[in-house]
Amino acid sequence: MTPALGQGLVLLGLLLCTIGAPVGFVAGARRSELGLLWTRRLALGFALAMIAANVLMVVALVRHDFSVSYVAQVGSTTTPLHITIVSLWSSLEGSILFWGMILGLYTAGVAILQWKRGHDDYLAYTLGTILTVGIFFSFLIAGAANPFKPVPPPIPMEGPGPNPLLQNHLLMIVHPPTLYLGYVGMTVPFAMAVAALLRGQLGPTWLRPLRNWLLVPTSFLTLGIMLGGWWSYEVLGWGGYWAWDPVENASLLPWLTAIAALHSAIVLQRRGTLKAWTVVLIMISFLLTILGTFLTRSGVVNSVHAFTQSAIGPMFLAFLGVAAFAVVILLALRVDRLGGPAVGSPLPSRESAFLVNNLLLLALMFTVLVGTLYPILAEAVRGVKVSVGVPWYNRMGVPIFLGLILLMGLGPALPWGSGDSRLLRRALLWPLPAAGVALLIALALGGRGFPILFSAALFGYTLWVTADQGLRPARTRVAQGESPPAALKRSTELAPRRLGAYIVHFGVLVTFLSIAISSSYQVEREAQLAPGTSTEIDGYTLTFLDARLAAEPHVTRQIARIDVSRNGRSLGVLEPSINFYPTQREPIGTPKVRTRLTHDLYLTLMNVSANSAGLRAIVTPAVLWIWLGVLMMVAGTAVCLLPPRLPVRRAVAAAAGETVGEGVDDSVAEASAGG
Amino acid sequence: MNKKVLLIGVLLIVPLVGLLAVSFRFDPKIVESPLIGKPAPDFTLQDLDGNVVRLSELRGTPVVINFWSTWCPPCIQEHPLLESAAAHYRGRVHFLGVIYQDDPGVIARFIDELGAWGPALIDPENRVAIAYGVFGPPETFFIDEEGVIVDKVIGGLHAQILREALDALL
Repeated sequence: MTPALGQGLVLLGLLLCTIGAPVGFVAGARRSELGLLWTRRLALGFALAMIAANVLMVVALVRHDFSVSYVAQVGSTTTPLHITIVSLWSSLEGSILFWGMILGLYTAGVAILQWKRGHDDYLAYTLGTILTVGIFFSFLIAGAANPFKPVPPPIPMEGPGPNPLLQNHLLMIVHPPTLYLGYVGMTVPFAMAVAALLRGQLGPTWLRPLRNWLLVPTSFLTLGIMLGGWWSYEVLGWGGYWAWDPVENASLLPWLTAIAALHSAIVLQRRGTLKAWTVVLIMISFLLTILGTFLTRSGVVNSVHAFTQSAIGPMFLAFLGVAAFAVVILLALRVDRLGGPAVGSPLPSRESAFLVNNLLLLALMFTVLVGTLYPILAEAVRGVKVSVGVPWYNRMGVPIFLGLILLMGLGPALPWGSGDSRLLRRALLWPLPAAGVALLIALALGGRGFPILFSAALFGYTLWVTADQGLRPARTRVAQGESPPAALKRSTELAPRRLGAYIVHFGVLVTFLSIAISSSYQVEREAQLAPGTSTEIDGYTLTFLDARLAAEPHVTRQIARIDVSRNGRSLGVLEPSINFYPTQREPIGTPKVRTRLTHDLYLTLMNVSANSAGLRAIVTPAVLWIWLGVLMMVAGTAVCLLPPRLPVRRAVAAAAGETVGEGVDDSVAEASAGG
Repeated sequence: MNKKVLLIGVLLIVPLVGLLAVSFRFDPKIVESPLIGKPAPDFTLQDLDGNVVRLSELRGTPVVINFWSTWCPPCIQEHPLLESAAAHYRGRVHFLGVIYQDDPGVIARFIDELGAWGPALIDPENRVAIAYGVFGPPETFFIDEEGVIVDKVIGGLHAQILREALDALL
């Protein structure tokens, strides 16, 4: 019963988007209002079918309905309820079904939020493109990745349960959906870019929704990448948060180009240039999400994330190929129509800083892409297995990254369009004392060596510019006699994007400095301890108390009890363990982390028995601030998405027309956002 | 039609998609041991009772060498499987266990409790484990009657893996 109903819903979704996509394109070409109305209905129908299919699967999982193939594959009556629910995305078929739902949610979001908002010129094309992507995914769910296959009798009474790695940490519940929200969400700006090319123009009614719909998935991607790093740190037991694993890289690729696109869109809005460039960046971002999905699902790269090799891989590759060719042909046909004034900008100006930022981000993207694909290339050409190690990425990537941080300081300090060298010099020299102060603080705190001192100075410079620019409207108001809180509130209401963007920059700075500190000042100690003996690290005394074996249904744990004390005072007992899962070939160490504002104490086991424990202890400063910095970025994005409240006298003018409204938004927002 | 865009696009996409298409032929997870196809390193070891076992003297009969220890849960899990396999293939295949970094006293107690499936050989200073490139227990080597390593399994054995490997030996 459930399998038939589920398959029915998926096929309904497939049918609706297969009709909706061509209807959307035709409606767009003919500017037909009736066509747009129907495209929207079909899009909403597709969204509902996908959501319903997912709800049905969750119900089947919760009821342990083993007549459904996916439930029989990942379900188990002994699994706790919340894990049962999230096992919706714990395995290949379910994750693609879940993907379908997120695409449905975004489709509905566009169909509802952009309806009658002046975006109608593009909406039919946009929805048509989203539904075309929907055809591919619902085709996968209906066929190769069908999670609703009926299980032939006898129906099993019990299943194996989901992948054990997903069961041992709460972060694993939030990391995949967040990342999916980022990946799938890139479909929307992509569809808008396609719509702009088909329409042959980029107007303000296109740009504003585009920036919002680009911000949302980029922000989810940021959060998803951070949650993945955090999970890896808390669960995998190697003491780090980023390993340049191919699948981690795959999530980084579209993130880099999406950030480039967000910044070039600002130049587009302010200067009317970089039109084709912005469109291309958005399209690359989307294609990279598909490439990333392909790398994860096809099993061609070696990674902790990779799902097993399956028929899905070739289908994703085919989709990637077709989509990429379609994009290239569309660009070749239409890109000249976008035109735009080719205004040369003086070299040291805000817009040239944006351009350099774009080039650096692209260079970083290519670096990561080459590193990720090189093992495949080496095997194809020379028949050897190689892996690209962390040092390569650090050597290639870190200078580019430092360049980006420097630009984050220089860019916003530079005036738009100006070639006035006196103004320039003043703008660029003004923050230098802040860099000096940061350098002195770093020296006073014991910072030594070029990388960390340079990072500190860079931090100081950029922090000054960020705070100066971010708070400038509020400061102007204070100068005019408003109280500081009121000024801040008012300027935020008027130009949320400006403040939001600088909050994001501040978050980037915090994360950047924390990564620099945590990777420079990590202390590590390994010791083989007999019961009752201790080792010391960074003022902590770690005493091995005893070890025990705990057998649970799907895992056997060897747990060591380690007493942590400082200056003779016990701070509690940490219990790192080594876990053996029957489905995993190698044991997985589960670390225990004591997190404090300034540093983390990280304990992990190399081996353990009743009379000995091989303990690895790591003290890393500032780790918590990496995650907090990312949360600031996400909070800043949320501020950016607040609708600006227009001053009363201008709101009337804004109501008169979208174009005027955009102008007002511009003048008050000074959408100088990024840099 | 902007031919330049078309050309750049095609030049970027075709090699990328082509490379990814070729990549399906490889499985990145399989890293073959350089020992496979090579003569098994010879060794002379004593079991817990002091009986001497010399690998080269077993030539003519296939040999299974299993590196194990009592502190390794997969080793304990595969113990009954090896026991039944050793009984089933008695006389046709030799089963040798090499103790990996463990205390002979603990091993003796373990065997008293759970039974033995073959000699438990003591490997002083891990010489044999190093010669066989053992990374961590359990690792199982399959050696044919000519004394050549034909297969190696890293991690716990499953009935099917073991059966396939043994059938290939015989």
